[in-house]
Amino acid sequence: MKKFCFVTVGATASFHPLIQAVLEEKFLAALHRLGYSHLLIQYGKDSRSVFEECLRKYAPGSPNRHGIEIDGFDFNHAGLDKEMRLTQANPSKDLSGGCIISHAGSGSILAALRLGVPLVVVPNPTLKDNHQQELAHELQNQGYVVACNYQEIPSAIDRVEALRTQMLSWPPVPSPGPKQHRTLEQVMSDEMGFLD
Amino acid sequence: MSPYYYLGIFAIALAVSIISLLAYALSTSQNTHIPKWRPNTSPTHLLVVLGSGGHTAEMFSMLRRMKLDPSKYTYRTYIVSSGDHFSAAKAVEFETLYLARTAPAPAKDATVAASYTIVTVPRARRVHQSYLTAPFSTLQSFWACLLVLRGLHPDQKPLPPQMISPYPDVVLTNGPATAVCVILAARILRLYHLLVSLVPSTTHIHTPTSVPPGSARPTVVSAKYQLRTIFVESWARVTTLSLSGMLLLPFADRFLVQWPTLGGKQAWKGMRKTEYVGAIVD
Repeated sequence: MKKFCFVTVGATASFHPLIQAVLEEKFLAALHRLGYSHLLIQYGKDSRSVFEECLRKYAPGSPNRHGIEIDGFDFNHAGLDKEMRLTQANPSKDLSGGCIISHAGSGSILAALRLGVPLVVVPNPTLKDNHQQELAHELQNQGYVVACNYQEIPSAIDRVEALRTQMLSWPPVPSPGPKQHRTLEQVMSDEMGFLD
Repeated sequence: MSPYYYLGIFAIALAVSIISLLAYALSTSQNTHIPKWRPNTSPTHLLVVLGSGGHTAEMFSMLRRMKLDPSKYTYRTYIVSSGDHFSAAKAVEFETLYLARTAPAPAKDATVAASYTIVTVPRARRVHQSYLTAPFSTLQSFWACLLVLRGLHPDQKPLPPQMISPYPDVVLTNGPATAVCVILAARILRLYHLLVSLVPSTTHIHTPTSVPPGSARPTVVSAKYQLRTIFVESWARVTTLSLSGMLLLPFADRFLVQWPTLGGKQAWKGMRKTEYVGAIVD
């Protein structure tokens, strides 16, 4: 059975430290220990050289690779849904449940949450207005994702297995109680002035 | 005392009264609730402002989650910024793959194609554009937004004949820079109609409280309940509002936030507070 780890840096900003971190031998060893077979990296438009530079350390078949098959691509304009699905458990395609490691862009986070695949969120510290950090940590507190810095990825991947067994489903189910929020549909209806 | 002294006092008094009048108008307007007046079957016009990647993805995520009903929101206009092919493509995808599928079968081919339009407006500020020229391009963008709201933009096809007014009923946005232009333009149009309605005129039309279905409504009357603005702060904003959000806090009629710490914020005392609605993306 194949087990995929899919890494995505998104389309907007480059995130070299993340690419370098997931191509360190320490991380590959951790993947191997947890039964992963494939590492697929979406590295972004201007980071091909960084990806290839890191990969040069690992000649095909060298023991440093820990038997992990590594592949990469710059970006897919049709979206990353197909690549993300490789991490979903699917016995008919010989896939066991893997994980996604993502930059903290809301689009990528939502896509992974929708698929119900365990997600490691790595905020990009080079972005100026870093509200991504808050989002990542809030989601971790609520039990949806694992959040970490790019330096901590090898240990974060261990926490993924714990997350897998107790993941909450997305979108959140509104808790039954006296305080119900208005939905977008209701707010729009209010403003339209629709008769009930 | 020189006459300039009095002139100065007068100018300051005038400025203060204009500002307080505007602030008063904004707070009354924000605290007014729309009565339930619209029959569910009447034709309506929804305007959606799209933005770059993340904003657009979140917008369609929300519209899918709320299961936007094309039989209720019968006509839809999407505003995209020039050069943003991603958003335009996503709008077409949403209309053709999602809405056309949920529409009732007989309405499919003919009406669905004519029930939406995508309008491109110039960017308020392009990436790397100098801040010196930015005010001019913002004005240009603002003017284009005004044209769209009045149904006069060259990209717009004529509205379906059952629409009496060119104005959209509701403007929905989640915060790209263009959203600031659109919402301000909507508020200016509403202010204009408010001022017009205050001027006594011999041809003043009596305002009917309920309109018999099918009868032509005067635009001035319907504008009272049109151009309503809803701003949804991005799901990615947990503890701080975005720049667009901060600018629009006193202007949007409804300001929805998706994280509890952002709930209850207001532009100043007496203004409507932001509403925490939980995650409304899917």
